[in-house]
Amino acid sequence: MNGSPPVVRLDGITKRYGAVAANQDIRLDIHSGRIHALLGENGAGKSTLMGILSGMVQPDSGRILIDGQPRAFRSAREAITAGIGMVYQHFMLVKAMTVAENVFLGYPGVLLNRRRMEETVAQLARRFGLDIDPAARIGTLSMGERQRVEILKLLFRDSRVLIFDEPTSVLTPRESEHLFDALRRMAAQGKAIVFITHKLDEVMALSDDITILRRGSVIEGLATTAVTSKHELARRMVGRDVLLQVQREPYEPRQLVLRVDGLSNAGLRDIRLEVRQGEILGVVGVAGNGQKPLVEAICGLTAPAAGVVRILGEDWHRFYTHRRWDGNLAYIPEDRRGLATCRNLDLVDNFLLTTRQGFCRGPWLLRRRATRKALRLIRDFAIQPADTRISARQLSGGNLQKLVLAREFFRRPRLIVAEQPTQGLDIAAIQDVWNLLLNARKAAGILLITGDLTEALMLADRLAVMSAGRIVDTFPVDDADKLDRIGLMMAGSAA
Amino acid sequence: MLPLRTFKRQETHWWVSCLIFPTAIGLSLAICALLLKLQGKPAIQGIGLLFQGAFGSHWAIQDCLLKAIPIFLCSLGVAVAFRLQVWNIGAEGQFALGAIGATAAALQWPGLPGYALLPLMAAAALAAGGLWGFIPAVLKLRMRANEIIVTLMLNYIAILLLDYLVYGRWKDPQSFGFPMTAIFSDNAIVGRIGDTGLHWGLALCVATGGVLWLFFRFTRLGYELKASGENLGAARYAGLPYERLLILVMLLSGGLAGWAGFLEASATINRLQPSIMVGYGYTAIVVAWLARLNPLSIGLASFLLAALRVGVENLQLDLQVPAAFGGIMEGLILLTILAGSFFADYGWQWRRRSA
Ligand SMILES: Nc1ncnc2c1ncn2[C@@H]1O[C@H](COP(=O)(O)OP(=O)(O)OP(=O)(O)O)[C@@H](O)[C@H]1O
Ligand SMILES: [Mg+2]
Repeated sequence: MNGSPPVVRLDGITKRYGAVAANQDIRLDIHSGRIHALLGENGAGKSTLMGILSGMVQPDSGRILIDGQPRAFRSAREAITAGIGMVYQHFMLVKAMTVAENVFLGYPGVLLNRRRMEETVAQLARRFGLDIDPAARIGTLSMGERQRVEILKLLFRDSRVLIFDEPTSVLTPRESEHLFDALRRMAAQGKAIVFITHKLDEVMALSDDITILRRGSVIEGLATTAVTSKHELARRMVGRDVLLQVQREPYEPRQLVLRVDGLSNAGLRDIRLEVRQGEILGVVGVAGNGQKPLVEAICGLTAPAAGVVRILGEDWHRFYTHRRWDGNLAYIPEDRRGLATCRNLDLVDNFLLTTRQGFCRGPWLLRRRATRKALRLIRDFAIQPADTRISARQLSGGNLQKLVLAREFFRRPRLIVAEQPTQGLDIAAIQDVWNLLLNARKAAGILLITGDLTEALMLADRLAVMSAGRIVDTFPVDDADKLDRIGLMMAGSAA
Repeated sequence: MLPLRTFKRQETHWWVSCLIFPTAIGLSLAICALLLKLQGKPAIQGIGLLFQGAFGSHWAIQDCLLKAIPIFLCSLGVAVAFRLQVWNIGAEGQFALGAIGATAAALQWPGLPGYALLPLMAAAALAAGGLWGFIPAVLKLRMRANEIIVTLMLNYIAILLLDYLVYGRWKDPQSFGFPMTAIFSDNAIVGRIGDTGLHWGLALCVATGGVLWLFFRFTRLGYELKASGENLGAARYAGLPYERLLILVMLLSGGLAGWAGFLEASATINRLQPSIMVGYGYTAIVVAWLARLNPLSIGLASFLLAALRVGVENLQLDLQVPAAFGGIMEGLILLTILAGSFFADYGWQWRRRSA
């Protein structure tokens, strides 16, 4: 597809974790000046492969050729020296330091004075269209800006190959656009870009080359121009047609399961909303406009400072002092690794985290029974690998989310708070989750917080638009007038 | 720059972990030999004396076991707190309070029969040690006071309290002015196992270790402790009662150290006196770390560090090295093992000239 020799050639890369072949005899070329999308279902081995290329993971066999020369990386530092850098989902920045200081951190050589550092960083940022204030402290920056700092760190070390693992999952749509512009500029200046994503629109819009992995092997490598639509892409990836359509039956709201009236907290002002059994209320808005404090208050992480929060007919304080494990509120947080699971505990322990009351007799924990249940859920939800003894950190991002969903649905909730529930899932899994949520709607009221408007429109019965810590307006999804103005509402103008 | 470069290992090879422990012990022994040499003592012979003192006779081994008992109990307590990531370094003070509690019971009801008095003393020790753990827990929850500092300072208060009692109210009139209580009545002394020199406190250790193991493995509360210690965020998410767990853990931690104090006062010295404080509570922290909080390994590590104490006593007698030598060795072992565990996680290679 491209005449010039590749900067990076992966030649027969294989990596096994116990019985799981995460990568199997992978061959892949990466060219400079091109954007290469890496696709595949959850657990297909994308992160593992890029971990190997960036020196974080050691392959069992196979070679990495840089400019035709075989190289072996024993650490991320060695890969960076060779010009290969990765932007991780969890940023590794020192919050108390400035942008420029972070970029220079760990750079061997003499310390420069602040002005020179900031100038260098500003210059670099301009060159690649990464808009940022070099003197700002990391703690004050948005996720998108922090990502730019991570990219600048790599550019500053003259990386020629930049790898992104699901880079847009933490970004707002605007920030994503901004990132794509920067990626195009980097490619135009001869960098090779690899990015992993589950969003096929992004692939179609941005990439030059596409590689699809399935169960650890490359099943297809092609130029984006050879693909006609994202449906075709989806079919190639999953092996069957995925429509991303759901059957939404008309809803008949029944009893009230959540009532928030005049709630004010840090970052929230006078929130009013209601959720009834049988409906999905979609909360949409640009990330960071109060969604997080709202969820935290409803889910019991922070007490409401003012106003009323009634859950399943009970006052907030009463509800959270005597909570039952089932038939109650289930919370599916966005932060799966930090909140919803314990990375070093095995899958049974993680399953027990919110269901433990259902598996005890007196002081004893009925672990064997829990193991049987967990195993059944793992099969039902097609979580890979289907082994309860592995720890949560060994699951791929998508499979971990399925585990959380399986656990929370097992509790037969009557109120579900789902925060970005399909983020990081492959399309087949997204389809499953959407169906699950719609199914759960029969018995529960659902508060869906999402940054993905398509998802909100697909699932929600009513929408609540958030901006600057307030709910600007709430309306049924079939109100076409208001839907037209939804962008303005998100930007803060009243309905 | 050093001609060495390090890199993080993917998987830890089992043989690396197996090698680290003996290598670290060997290294710290070598450093000790060097220290002996610097003092002009025979180094090799010194190390020999150390081993002979600890393992040379069945008296020696028995002595090691006796000293391992309080270290084991304190260390179990410390480990329970560490599991929840609560850094209780106050085992020393909790140990002192346990001894005080047991002594109070022994002096109050000297006439009670042993089957009533001993449980009473154990309960008093548990309560007093537990109280000394409870205080930092409450201060941490209510006033966000750092438990490391509070537990450490409470150690000094506990020791002063003990001094106050044995110099004052509880001083034995027949002790010729020495700061000590009267010797306990026979009913207040934990008996020997058969005609060995070991006392039944050893059985208490085995039972406590087993119960704790069961507790962490099979009970809901044990699970909740484990999960909260792993990830506080998840604990909040899942509605685990962190505050209650913290208080429970500190009560338990203090109570176990308190039991160690009870056994020392009752079985070992048969009275309360300032010399009961020999730093078991600090050794316990070293032990808990070395054993990575695992109850079984804590048993083994307690025995080893007790052996070190016994061995150094022998060294002290034969070569007139200062008493602080034992503390130095203890520190060396901890440091070499901690440094050694670096090699479990990291590999190294020589930097090539050209690169
Ligand atoms: N450290 C590990 N130990 C054991 N198994 C692992 C480990 N890391 C990954 N795996 C397994 O390797 C397989 C590939 O995982 P990987 O994270 O590369 O998937 P992925 O394609 O990035 O998936 P996702 O889209 O869900 O992020 C999975 O089955 C996963 O369980
Ligand atoms: Mg991944």
